[in-house]
Amino acid sequence: MNEQIHRLNCYVENKPGVLARIVGLISGRGYNIQTLNVGPTEDGTVSRMRIDVLGSDRVVEQIMLQLRNQVNVIEVTSRRGKR
Amino acid sequence: MKQSMERSGAKALVESLEKAGVEVLFGYPGGQALDIFNQLTGAKFPFVLGRHEQGCVHMADGYARSTGKPGVCLVTSGPGATNTVTGLATANIDGIPLIVITGQVPMSLIGTDAFQEADTTGVTRAVSKHNFLVHSADEIPETVAQAFYIATHGKPGPVVIDIPKNCQQAMTAAQYPERVSLRAYHPESAATSSQMTRLAKLINEAQRPVIYAGGGVIASGAASDVAVLAHKADIPVATTLMGLGAFDEHDPLSLRMAGMHGTPAANWAMNDADLIVALGVRFSDRVTGKISQYAPKAKIVHVDCDPASIGKNVSVSLGIVADVKDVLTTVGSRVKPAKHEAWRAKIDGWKKSHPVAWRQMHPGVIMPQAVMEAVDKATHGRAVIVTDVGQHQMWAAQHFRHSIPRHFLTSGGMGTMGFGIPAAIGAAIARPDHATVAICGDGGAQMTFEEVVVAVEHKLPVTFVVVNNGCLGMVRQWQELFYGKNYSGSILTVKDRPANEQLEQDLACDYLPDFVKLAQAHGADAVRVIDPAKLDDAIAKAVRSPRTTVVEVIVEPRANVYPMIPAGKPVSEMVFK
Repeated sequence: MNEQIHRLNCYVENKPGVLARIVGLISGRGYNIQTLNVGPTEDGTVSRMRIDVLGSDRVVEQIMLQLRNQVNVIEVTSRRGKR
Repeated sequence: MKQSMERSGAKALVESLEKAGVEVLFGYPGGQALDIFNQLTGAKFPFVLGRHEQGCVHMADGYARSTGKPGVCLVTSGPGATNTVTGLATANIDGIPLIVITGQVPMSLIGTDAFQEADTTGVTRAVSKHNFLVHSADEIPETVAQAFYIATHGKPGPVVIDIPKNCQQAMTAAQYPERVSLRAYHPESAATSSQMTRLAKLINEAQRPVIYAGGGVIASGAASDVAVLAHKADIPVATTLMGLGAFDEHDPLSLRMAGMHGTPAANWAMNDADLIVALGVRFSDRVTGKISQYAPKAKIVHVDCDPASIGKNVSVSLGIVADVKDVLTTVGSRVKPAKHEAWRAKIDGWKKSHPVAWRQMHPGVIMPQAVMEAVDKATHGRAVIVTDVGQHQMWAAQHFRHSIPRHFLTSGGMGTMGFGIPAAIGAAIARPDHATVAICGDGGAQMTFEEVVVAVEHKLPVTFVVVNNGCLGMVRQWQELFYGKNYSGSILTVKDRPANEQLEQDLACDYLPDFVKLAQAHGADAVRVIDPAKLDDAIAKAVRSPRTTVVEVIVEPRANVYPMIPAGKPVSEMVFK
């Protein structure tokens, strides 16, 4: 099934509930987060999330589009990693 | 000066709703919403008390679907909030703008399992477009403004505002903002010039084009633009269930509805097309059937305001993230007038050989499709039709000639039974200039019948038609076709139940409840129709009546919805009986 680890880099507003929203969006579609890293950026109102998720390109593309639709998500990029 | 501008968070909320242009508020009170309710008596907008929070949200939804403006609903914490979940999910998947305000226990009690405490933002996160937990009274005006912005921009959807009681009570001088600015949410997007050029080229080169119009056309107010394009370039138009009304079905170019229970002409045209111009649709599995065999000969252009819907279910040749109306007004001048005579002749052949039709099964027994035709005739096709979910919903989709946007309100994506009665009330309040007819089954009608009393209280001349076949018809149909006629859990009459559901006592009546008595108990006029000869008169009389009327029609219990493409199957496996 062409599944690969994809690393999603999300910049989000640093507000309560944003982490739950993003994690829920991924897990609610049946995908398992392999690694999750959340921390502040130099701008204290913005957090950075690095999310490693296993899935096909098509699925990860769909997750990215859904993430970008979120009201608190500023930017999302992704890069394919090794399985 | 500052002191004079201070008022409670609850008062600030009501002021903010007035500033946002709220015309009517639906809801149900409870302990943690009482400060807000205390301010409602002085509000500029009326309050409509539902009888169950699910009904309240569906009323707001019916208001929103019939006007395009956000519907607003206010409920209390805990069970009040959790009862809104079905209504939120219904609006969310269909892209309907709602604002749902929920009371919450005071901040100091959050997380203590306080009385009527539920994690409302947690519960509603996956069924709303966005939600807010307010942390102070000062946030209330800005949050309301943001909620209205989010609900109505990009793909519309429901937004929840959870307001702890202490924030309702605290004083604030915060004012409703003149403009909303959201740091991260900028959904507006326009087609590029090269996309427009490609779209025009694809349309100009197509020999067998089809326009496939969905709910996004109605949301965008683009129905007239679809008609202009279709006529100029001679393109037949199919719609989704949500798109009914986006194109006049009296028009010779209309293919009517596509999909599982769509017309053969619509499905065969999409199957044979060399170009599908998909406008404001999401390629639901109920339309595509077997995805690998969907529209095998067609290039697909997909125009939608939601970037996540493009390429989600089908691969497209050209995806355009933009407002449908903007795209159509721009592309119109670049599209050349055309005639597709061979293609039109082929389609007209399909329409003639497989018209939308039905057959009487047993003499003297009303066919459910005849009920739809009776309503269509009595309302001259001008009524706002609201449906519940199931067989009657599909018959309503098939047997009305839909011609006006926002005149067919139905739970398309979620398929929510119980939607019809409250949504019709919301629509009737929103559009007093039009007759409103709710078409329900006997199953769904029992889920939210309590709301009929709201129609009676507000003297709404709604006609509630209960199409009673004594069973959960769509479930029964699937069991007949796909589960070896094992009617488990789907028979509502006393007779014909499977062995494990046999009732011990003999009931006086085979059909329960008695919808006529039930309606009368709610203060509505009511009539039961069994004789086919009396159907037209009964419906016409109810539609003309200025009073809330329930018409229970006892129909053929074994009628099925055809044509049908079984779930996950290609168009070639369409069955006709």
